[in-house]
Amino acid sequence: MTQVQKTDEARKNMKSKGHDSLDRVRAAAQELHGAISDAAAKRGEAMKADLQAILPKAKAVAASLKESLGAQNEAIKKHLVDAVQHVEATQKHVAESLKATGHAVEASVRQAVADAHAAVQKISEAVAAKRTAESTHAHP
Amino acid sequence: MRNYIAVVFREKSKAYEGLHELWQLDSAGEITVHGTTVVHRDALGQFRVDTKETHPALATAVGVGVGALLGLFAGPVGVAVGVAAGAGLGAAAGAGLGAAAGGIVGAMTDLGRADTRSRAVDDTRFVLGIGQSAVIADVTEDWTSAVNDRMLALGGTIYRRAKSAVRDDEPWFYDNYFYPYEYVPSMDSLYW
Repeated sequence: MTQVQKTDEARKNMKSKGHDSLDRVRAAAQELHGAISDAAAKRGEAMKADLQAILPKAKAVAASLKESLGAQNEAIKKHLVDAVQHVEATQKHVAESLKATGHAVEASVRQAVADAHAAVQKISEAVAAKRTAESTHAHP
Repeated sequence: MRNYIAVVFREKSKAYEGLHELWQLDSAGEITVHGTTVVHRDALGQFRVDTKETHPALATAVGVGVGALLGLFAGPVGVAVGVAAGAGLGAAAGAGLGAAAGGIVGAMTDLGRADTRSRAVDDTRFVLGIGQSAVIADVTEDWTSAVNDRMLALGGTIYRRAKSAVRDDEPWFYDNYFYPYEYVPSMDSLYW
C-alpha cells in the first residue's frame, strides 16, 4: 500500500467529528468578527446601534471561551487563553467606540476588528491542534 | 501541517464553489481553515480582491497584503517585488486602491519571475491568468488528499506552500488579509 493510499485510508476511517464546544465557540467568534466588520462599514448612529448589540455577544464569547478552558490540554489551552485576551480587547474597543466621537470611533472599531480577527485565529489554532491530536490518537 | 494554498479556477463561480468546499471540509473536521480570500484577474489583467472593508487605509493595506500573497506562491523573489510595489502604490492612491495595487503588484510579480527564470524552475509556478479566479487559504491539513480531491473535482489547479517556509522567508503577517469564515461578497459587487 502506498503512502497516499495509507493516508486516504486513515482519513476515510476517521470518525466524523461532532461539533463540540470548541467548534461552537469558534463559530460564535467568527460571527462576532463578521458583525464588527459589517458595523465598521456603517456610519454614525447606524454603526453605534450595531456596536451596542455586539457588546453582549463579545462578553458571551469570552465567557464561553473561559468555560472551555478546563477540558483542554496545555497546548490547546494556551491558544484559548490568547483568544480570551483578544476577545476582552475586542470588548474594550467596542465599549470605547460607543463613548468616542469623530475619528476616535473609527480607530476603536478598527482595533476591535483586528482583535476579533486575532481571537478567531487563536481559536482556529486550538481547533486544529485538537483535531490533529485526535487524529494522531486514532491513527498513531 | 499548516499550509498556504492557492486554487486557481477558470471561472469565478467555480472559485466560490471551491471556497465553499474548503469551509465544508473544515466543518467536517477534515481540515482546519484559518482564513480565506478570493482574488480575481479581470480582462485588463487587473487583480481584484473580495473585501467588505471600504475605508481607503484598509483597502491600501489589503492591496499591499494581497500583492505579497500572490508573490508568496512565486517564491521569495516574487514576495519581495510584490510588497515593494504594493507599498509604493499604497502611499499614493485613494479609495478602491486595494484592487489597483493588487493588479500592478501582480504584474510586477510576473516581471520579477521572468527576470529570474532559472530560479523559477524551483518555484510553485503559480499563475493567475486573465479572467481566472483563485481561492487563497491558510489551512491546517493532516492529509493533502482531502483538499486535492475536492478541488480537482471542481477543475481547480492547486498550489501549496508550507507556512513555516513562508515565515522563514518573510516576516509579514498574511493572515490579516484572510476572512476567518466563508465570505462571499454581494452579487452587486461581483459585476465589474
